[in-house]
Amino acid sequence: MRLAFPHMGNIYIPIKAIFNGSSIDVVFPPLTSQHTLSLGVKYSPEMACLPFKLTLGNLIEALELGADTVVMPGGAAPCRFGYYHKVQEAILRKLGYNFYMITQDRGIMNMVKHLSNGASLWKVITALRFGLAKLKALDELEQLVHKIRAIERDKGEASRIYREWTRAIDNAADYQALNQAKREHLQKLMNLPTVSSPAPLKIGVTGEFFVVLDPFANMDLEIKLGVEVRRSIFARDLVSFNPFIYAFGLREKDRSHKAATPYLSRHVGGDGRQSVGEKVLHARDWDGLIHLEPFGCLPEITARNIMPSTKEWLPVLNLIYDEHTGKVGIINRLEAFLDMIQRKKRGRVAVCA
Amino acid sequence: MIKIGIPRALLYFQYYPMWKTFFEELGAEVVVSSPTTQTMLAQGSSRVVTDTCLPVKIFCGHVLSLVNECDYIFIPAIRSVQKRVYNCSKFLGLPDMTRAVIPESPPILDTDIDVNKGRHRLYYAIYQVGRHFTRNPFKVKRAGQAAWQAHLNYRQLMSHQGLTPPQAIGEVSAIPEAEPKTPSDSQASAQTTIALIGHPYLLYDEHINHRFIHRLEQAHCKVLTPEMVTTEELELAIARLVGRASWTYEDEVVGAGEHYLQSGADGVIGIMTFGCGPDSLMMDMVRRQATRLGTTPFMSLTLEEHTAEAGVITRLEAFLDMIQRKKRRQVAVCV
Repeated sequence: MRLAFPHMGNIYIPIKAIFNGSSIDVVFPPLTSQHTLSLGVKYSPEMACLPFKLTLGNLIEALELGADTVVMPGGAAPCRFGYYHKVQEAILRKLGYNFYMITQDRGIMNMVKHLSNGASLWKVITALRFGLAKLKALDELEQLVHKIRAIERDKGEASRIYREWTRAIDNAADYQALNQAKREHLQKLMNLPTVSSPAPLKIGVTGEFFVVLDPFANMDLEIKLGVEVRRSIFARDLVSFNPFIYAFGLREKDRSHKAATPYLSRHVGGDGRQSVGEKVLHARDWDGLIHLEPFGCLPEITARNIMPSTKEWLPVLNLIYDEHTGKVGIINRLEAFLDMIQRKKRGRVAVCA
Repeated sequence: MIKIGIPRALLYFQYYPMWKTFFEELGAEVVVSSPTTQTMLAQGSSRVVTDTCLPVKIFCGHVLSLVNECDYIFIPAIRSVQKRVYNCSKFLGLPDMTRAVIPESPPILDTDIDVNKGRHRLYYAIYQVGRHFTRNPFKVKRAGQAAWQAHLNYRQLMSHQGLTPPQAIGEVSAIPEAEPKTPSDSQASAQTTIALIGHPYLLYDEHINHRFIHRLEQAHCKVLTPEMVTTEELELAIARLVGRASWTYEDEVVGAGEHYLQSGADGVIGIMTFGCGPDSLMMDMVRRQATRLGTTPFMSLTLEEHTAEAGVITRLEAFLDMIQRKKRRQVAVCV
């Protein structure tokens, strides 16, 4: 069996760790690129959303590399994501690929059984734990870099260390190596020369899961921002059905759901409710919020209709992504948004004085 | 008497007889908004973000037209009417969204219909609506039972007598719907059978679809709609094509599409709106199936706010011409 997963940000690193010790051969398609997107767009229904097109492109590239089994998460959900695998399977079969698709539609136990390939339960749990440790390390690293990027003196240094650290996490073979990588790079990151004034803006980033987490999909938004990014959506939320992670991942989500209740009292699928909640929750402590979504995202459109009506006031910039690649358009709008917030902040200071 | 407003959009075509019976049993008066107009669409569009889908924009227009007409507006959040099968996000958040974009609307009667939460929660949800009219749970129960019976009659009227929802609504209630004509007179000379698939709020809203059914009938076509297939047949068709349904109204698209592609129609036309999430994938499944089978012609029409009827007419004419030519050729081959 040659197994393949679609990409989403760095998620391939923990997946690689999980399957490293097992007898399953895992094929990783090349990191999402323009070519992936073109492939996906070519074969997808035109109105499918960006994550559909990107994951389809990944799967095609993986099958070209000789994968014979692909994993595509699914399941019953109000968002289109639950339906992806059915259409993608039909598209890939039409293209003439022969493969088996594993989805949680056929039951989570079936999925685990297939993926464990007869390994003992103990081995499965050990591998899972190590994978999750890597996932946690990656998320922590990202959270740290979000802060450093805003205050570093030489722009781009933090991102460089971030890439190095990510590679080190990927290469770590055991917990010791993982900790070693952390010690080394944390030192480097903390020793970066910083500027202390003016205090960086605190901008929240929220929205649809995939676009928030995948730097290719959001065109490296966080690097371009150059402000302190606050984000509560992390890859570990994805495995929140997992009892190990449950306690970490859901706490923030629950809080924002509660905050959204006066405006959106129901779960609308995807991260719609969380988007509304974050605006309400952080109106006091953030300077602005950037809301990302792929074009046509059902839950986020509902959220975007509700967001302007909240009593809590926070500037929000909506960025909608599709297969067009106009990076400059994104940069322009980010600049205008940040300028506006900065001017507003200065105005407030002047009044106080 | 309390007046309950029901917008003539979205789920109206599926559940109106049920809702009407329920509220009238509880002693309320039901006010329905008038059929969609261009003004409603324009007003609705001005309230929501631009990439909201057309049916929701129209829904907002209908709610706006009801603002001064009633004491309450009934907008249920229909989450799930089948086990582990969910509705589109826009339906789930519909009451909250309406409240946010139309702050001047009368109080919204909302309730969560979700069969996954169990029988008790479902009954409680119904009671929650009824509580606005009476404290007596038995009265609500009676109204609920009558409403369910009305719904079953309505479904039967459509699947057994081949009526479209507006015709059936006209039959069960006294409102003069669109054109109260019997289905047979237009079909007497029918030669071609065209099956329409899509959500009822697209097929039967004459403003959205530019009087599509009327045009088909004028072209002497017999029109079949998803409601004319029994639930069992629809479920069977879904099982054949995609296994298990994921969306609440998947049977109207995938189920009916697969059913009509296999049998009973000379051509199938799928109607969807631009930006409809579920349809963008479901219609694609039907289109793929049509290509695979290669027997029944299939056309997918995507509608949006445009007002250019000619585009719709041209495509319809071309499609019908193609079917007619195909039929002639078949006859010729037989001879």
